[in-house]
Amino acid sequence: MASRQETVTGARAASRPPGRSLLPDRWLPYGMIGPAVFVAFAIAIVPLCYAFWLSLQDWYMLRQPLPKWGGLINYRALLQDTQLWASFGRTWIWTLGTVFVELLLAMPIALLLNRETGIARTASALILLPWVTPFIVLGFGWRFLLDSDVGPIHSFLHLLGIAGDSSVLNDPVLAFATIIFISGWKGTPFLVIALLAALKSIPDELYEAAEVDGAGAWSRFWHVTVPSIQNTVVTVGLVLGILAFYSFDLPWIMTKGGPQDATTIVGIAMYKAVFLDLRPAYAAAISIVMLVLLFIASMFALRARRID
Amino acid sequence: MRRTSPLREAGLDLLTLVVLFLLLVPILWVFVASVRPETDITGGGLWPQRLTFVHYEAILAKKPFLIALKNSLIVGIVVAIITTALALPAAYALSRFRFHGRTFFGLLILGTQMLPSLAVLVPLVVIVRQLGLTNTLTALIFTHLALGMPIAVWMLKGYIDAIPKELEEAAMIDGCSRVGALTRIVIPLIRPAIIAVGTFAFVLSWGEYLMALALISKADVKTLPLALQGLFDPYSFSWGQVMAGGTIIALPAILLFLIFRKQLVGGLLAGGVKG
Repeated sequence: MASRQETVTGARAASRPPGRSLLPDRWLPYGMIGPAVFVAFAIAIVPLCYAFWLSLQDWYMLRQPLPKWGGLINYRALLQDTQLWASFGRTWIWTLGTVFVELLLAMPIALLLNRETGIARTASALILLPWVTPFIVLGFGWRFLLDSDVGPIHSFLHLLGIAGDSSVLNDPVLAFATIIFISGWKGTPFLVIALLAALKSIPDELYEAAEVDGAGAWSRFWHVTVPSIQNTVVTVGLVLGILAFYSFDLPWIMTKGGPQDATTIVGIAMYKAVFLDLRPAYAAAISIVMLVLLFIASMFALRARRID
Repeated sequence: MRRTSPLREAGLDLLTLVVLFLLLVPILWVFVASVRPETDITGGGLWPQRLTFVHYEAILAKKPFLIALKNSLIVGIVVAIITTALALPAAYALSRFRFHGRTFFGLLILGTQMLPSLAVLVPLVVIVRQLGLTNTLTALIFTHLALGMPIAVWMLKGYIDAIPKELEEAAMIDGCSRVGALTRIVIPLIRPAIIAVGTFAFVLSWGEYLMALALISKADVKTLPLALQGLFDPYSFSWGQVMAGGTIIALPAILLFLIFRKQLVGGLLAGGVKG
């Protein structure tokens, strides 16, 4: 493939009078991709390197207003910060909880939508709504729904005996569980669409062969469907897990990390470190630690992939 | 598909509708509340009976909200144009040329997609401050490029890959330059995808919250998500107005996405996307 294309490009260059285009073909691709690569560098690579440098500075707006070299000072402070480790702990629960809710909701929905009826097709378009609606709208929407004075879902939870007179968002444990559920609900459509694509690519012959061998519906699901979609589940689950690990919008909009730090996941802790405690270097150290922990966790997650 | 009984299909269709309703009802409720009188929202039962647009009139009469609407439009449109202008040549280069570093550059751009905004928030805020660009739309526009550009490159590359190279070669034998072949042959053929990609960049920027929150604090440069937060005045806020503001933010995003769904869904699955 590569060599064929090279010869085509070469033949093309030869057949053309020189000096026709602005740049010779050799430099043209760099000129074309350059601006996009520049933006990728400026928005991803440079900030990541800068964060690492920043994390080695001693910079505390209230005590040390100009950054100076601090070595591992932030990392040492970080190791002793029990509140921060508590928020890391919450973040793992949050991340696994979000992905769990997503799998729990998306799996049956994808099986339900994997049919050739008009309603199933329309539904697989409309189901994307929670995914495309901005967090700010969902956050305020859910605050409205769970409000103890006006919220219809609050009335429902009150009826079930889950919520007392005040909103679930005022109870530390219930608030955390509720926002995890909302986070999973928001991500579900993405997993549904990915699973649907994987389900549609399973050849019918596999099911027919299993049926001939006398496999029941459950056994067909377990021995044909599950192995075929396993890699999709792991890959998309990892993407959704990374997004959940780096959550900020939803818990910040809904509870600002409260009540009593109950929803302070590490993204919120980092934001507070910059904007409330005015410790940008410390926040940079947090973001480096996040990156390292996420990298290690991702390596473990990818082991669940099926290798054929 | 395999043999199925019509009765079973009808039953599953019904179940699909119920599940869909349950999943979407939180969003529907926002829309419904935005057109109900305040007294009905606070004590009018579940089923809406009266329709009103007073909440929309009220927030569209608020100066901060209108300024935010204008700012969001400016940021969104500029982001959409720049994203497309950067992504199209990059996608073309990745699709049509073999050059040193091609794989590296491609993965670098794709990698940017996988990097959540929060991971680069702290250094970006510090950099923007040192450049003196806090509270400017310029800084916001620049950070918003990261939202849609990588996915735009990969989606457009997919579309360009599908165009036979012979078309451009024919044009170039007839005396067209390489860039001329791009503008006269490739762009007209993938115009729907280009519009979809630009729309997507607009939608992502339109609802973006974290970067706006971190970079903007002055009223005259706030964008819609920040203005919506501002409507939540603890002394005198109206749920109807907050929901109307929410609808104004959500509706363009939802409608544009549904219109361009066919072009977008494949690309989303290919690269994952920032929420």
